[in-house]
Amino acid sequence: MNGRILIALALLALAGALVFAARPHDITADERVDQITAQLRCPVCQGLSVKDSTSETARQMRDLVAQRVREGRTDAEIDAEFRAAYGDWIFLAPPVASWSGLVWLVPIAVIAAGLVLVTGRLRGTGAPPAAEPTSPDVAALRERVAREEAAEG
Amino acid sequence: MILARVVRIAVVVGLLGLVVTLALAFRRDPHDIRTGTVNKPAPAFTLQRLDGSGQVSLADLSGKVVVVNFFASWCLPCTQENPALVRVYERYRSSDVVMLGVNYQESHENGLAYVKRMGIAWTTVADDDGRVALSYGVFGPPETFFIGSDGVIAGRHIGPIDEETLVTAIEKLRGQASSR
Repeated sequence: MNGRILIALALLALAGALVFAARPHDITADERVDQITAQLRCPVCQGLSVKDSTSETARQMRDLVAQRVREGRTDAEIDAEFRAAYGDWIFLAPPVASWSGLVWLVPIAVIAAGLVLVTGRLRGTGAPPAAEPTSPDVAALRERVAREEAAEG
Repeated sequence: MILARVVRIAVVVGLLGLVVTLALAFRRDPHDIRTGTVNKPAPAFTLQRLDGSGQVSLADLSGKVVVVNFFASWCLPCTQENPALVRVYERYRSSDVVMLGVNYQESHENGLAYVKRMGIAWTTVADDDGRVALSYGVFGPPETFFIGSDGVIAGRHIGPIDEETLVTAIEKLRGQASSR
């Protein structure tokens, strides 16, 4: 009995710790800078974010983002500042609501079109339905059965 | 079957669109990349002169054709394009065209030594924290921006620039300025 109580208490403590860890909390300025720079492409790197790059350009961009965060700018305002200079290219994930958003939509459209084509092709190449026997065929078969039964006696 | 036909037509149209897009894209000059700043008002700036003799503000050059060239001594293509810049500067030095060199990610000492070594006589300024380069969407030196007398960036050239490209862009902007 005591063991069960202990297990229940341990589970309760674990759940409480999880709830405490996952509680909504105010994001710090540094966390905001990390979040924003993780979405920005480093202009002098190969596929690296500004957050992950050690280049001088990335450092300058991080400093600029940090300053804008300190000034109280919103994420959208900071994004707009970089978009104004570099276009949508500056974002590692192109915005859906833009021309570059086609990179998200086109593959989905192509896959859907391919599925439709494959489905149509599979239906088209299935075995053709057996034709209904005609009356003369039925009559001939009956006659043949009758003949064979008579021969077997 | 009708759906399959529609899809087939859509695939053909899509492929045609891709071919047309690629054909148009390959015809474009890869140095002429139209990012966010082209056809927009040039971002304002005030920067310290490399030689320490005061500041230069873009606003002070209002009404003139301005050629802004981002450069650095550690940038080999910058040294390659420099003779063309020198010739063009000499050609327009007594006109309404202003050339402005923006030293990029470099100490003042190194930038100034380069300016003296390369015979750069036009105004050069230091972009110490890189903010001006970022506001212009610079990827790396050399990059050249052409700002019209209306203060709008009419074009940009990524990589080393030659004399013909410089003169063509400048003359186009001068023509637009005189027709206003």
